[in-house]
Amino acid sequence: MGTSQPPGSGGTNESGEAPVQVAPPTTDGETTVTEEGSELERSIGLKGGVAIGVGTMIGAGIFVFPGLAAGRAGPAAAGSFAIGAVVALLVALPASELATAMPKSGGGYYFISRALGALPGAVVGISIWLGLVFATAFYLVGFGNYAAALLAEAGVPVGGVPVVVPLALVFGVALTVLNLFGTENAAKLQNYVVGVLLTILVAFLGYGGLDAVGVFGNASTPETFFPRGVMPMFTTAALVFTSYLGFAQVATVAGDIKDPGRSLPLAMVGSVVIVGVLYVSTIFVATSAFGSEALSRFGETAIVEVARAYFGNAGALAILVAGLLATVSSANASILSTSRAVFAISKDALVPQYASRLNLTYGTPHVALAMAGGPVLVLVALGEVEVLAEVASFLHLVMYGLMCVALVAMRRDEPEWYDPDFRVPAYWLVAGVGAVASFALIGFMQRASQIIGLAIMVAAAGWYKYYASDVRLKGVL
Amino acid sequence: MTDDEPAADSTPEPLDVREPPRVLVPVEVLEGESLSESLAAFLAPSEVVVLGYHVLPEQTPTEQASMQFEGRALAAVEDIAETFRAAGRDVETRVAFTHDRDQTVERVAAEVGATAVLLPNPSGKIRDVLVPIRGVVDTGRLADLVATLLADGDGTVALWGVAGSDGFDAAAAVETVRETLRDRGLAADRITTETAASESPIRDVVARSEEFDVVVMGAGGASLFAALFGDDTERVAEGAVDPVLVVRDRTVGE
Repeated sequence: MGTSQPPGSGGTNESGEAPVQVAPPTTDGETTVTEEGSELERSIGLKGGVAIGVGTMIGAGIFVFPGLAAGRAGPAAAGSFAIGAVVALLVALPASELATAMPKSGGGYYFISRALGALPGAVVGISIWLGLVFATAFYLVGFGNYAAALLAEAGVPVGGVPVVVPLALVFGVALTVLNLFGTENAAKLQNYVVGVLLTILVAFLGYGGLDAVGVFGNASTPETFFPRGVMPMFTTAALVFTSYLGFAQVATVAGDIKDPGRSLPLAMVGSVVIVGVLYVSTIFVATSAFGSEALSRFGETAIVEVARAYFGNAGALAILVAGLLATVSSANASILSTSRAVFAISKDALVPQYASRLNLTYGTPHVALAMAGGPVLVLVALGEVEVLAEVASFLHLVMYGLMCVALVAMRRDEPEWYDPDFRVPAYWLVAGVGAVASFALIGFMQRASQIIGLAIMVAAAGWYKYYASDVRLKGVL
Repeated sequence: MTDDEPAADSTPEPLDVREPPRVLVPVEVLEGESLSESLAAFLAPSEVVVLGYHVLPEQTPTEQASMQFEGRALAAVEDIAETFRAAGRDVETRVAFTHDRDQTVERVAAEVGATAVLLPNPSGKIRDVLVPIRGVVDTGRLADLVATLLADGDGTVALWGVAGSDGFDAAAAVETVRETLRDRGLAADRITTETAASESPIRDVVARSEEFDVVVMGAGGASLFAALFGDDTERVAEGAVDPVLVVRDRTVGE
């Protein structure tokens, strides 16, 4: 907070570009009107918003983490996911309020730069770009695992060569190229994918859950809930928090959401609640079926073995296909969010405005997409699932914590234009606990992830000082 | 489809109808779509609202597109407005960036209270109008539009009732429209009427449209078939060589 920049637009970056003001943050629910008088149609409804949130999140928590998390925390991994859900909810509420007050593309970055100033804004904006890159790489490696497992299931010989990373790379390239050329009806497809996924999962969890509590056959012997003490539950919560990164992605499309005052809070909070319940029950069912030791040995595709145990090979196949869909939907949603994050910072002249150029033939943001897809491929090649996940969580958690701070800053000194449709009750408490919890989760991460995350933030601050130190954004709408 | 009492459930105030009809002309400006002078001249007796729109893929924020393309879109719409001004009528212009063309057109049509929406097609000199009647249509609006557009020229209008298998009384509907047109002052010798039975009305309308210069038709209700294959009006516009004017149903409160 500290800095007391005068309100008002101004400042240019090293290339002499100033922040671009496109439209005031007013809206009648269906359109935003720019200063030149053209209308920007809002075309994503509540269902679409929830699908973006759920579609981004669901890939990781169910289809990548159960094995890893159970290996670390035992059955208490369910507690880890619950902690993650609570933290996510505590952040989703302040994020919703800020998003209804400023329903513009850019999400968390936008709120923080307007409430706290250009430096925190630049650090968050650049780190969230890279944070999303890490998250996308993580989802793609998850996809690689499922694709490899599917090949194995189908009996395709791969000759003992590790295929996970190559498959992830190929698909990463495919997704980027697909987005470069424009995808008709991608959002509708996303809605269907999420619908199919939820159906498969609810059937699977419903049956597994009944089985676990002993409705069919014998109740499984409960394992010790904390086989390794309470601490691993928290460190695992820090790891699996990547499964909740999607709700803020709803805010990055805030500029396209119909009736944002109502849809944004509902979509954000709703998607966290939906996936939180699914995650916790998945871990419960999975640990009941196998015990955490066995689960851990199965690694990234543990949930497939759980499905096999309940429904035989057909079940395994269904979950494999669901896993492919889920990881693809997560990866794709993240690539799109990344390009929106790049657009938001380049519009504000924090990076060269060239980055937000559109390709007229396809109408797609090709530079921003390349800035998303390129680094993703490098990270996928590393193939380190846990580090990728934690760095992604680290960078997001910094943004989440600062969003809570931004809410407090806005509320304490409410500017005239600040008129959110949704107000967080007891904002002090919610935002305070949200900020503390976000920063605390960072403390539970592995040292390597913390160092990488910090290095990225320092580099972002350095870039701001070099390139855009004259740009002022606080209070500029 | 309910029955064929003309717009009994909406507000059939004659005043509402007798305003100069408004025609919404959506144009995909950045795709180089434009309007012919003859079409502009034909529409000139009505109040025209030109909507220049640009459809974006979902991965592109509308804000981002407006930053880069707004100037060009505004200029292109201005050019089209110029075509209308040359035909002697000032027009209202709107520019929109959207991910969903139909949503934008529907919204703007409702906002400006448009009588009809144009689905453009290339056109030469426009003289003769085909009005296929296949179901309940807002007779008042339709007659008002056609009468206004034809008032000053010597063009003719053919009312063509098409009965399908749903028991629609085509002859009665055509007669109602004919009388309303007469009430609006269109000379009887410029109106021809006929009816036909058809199992594939869209294909027949498309085939028939070759003898005429423009098609005016009702929006038609939403049906399962329309949801699968697109609106009837869009399918006519795709198949026909003529521009199509779609008369919107009046909604409550408009």
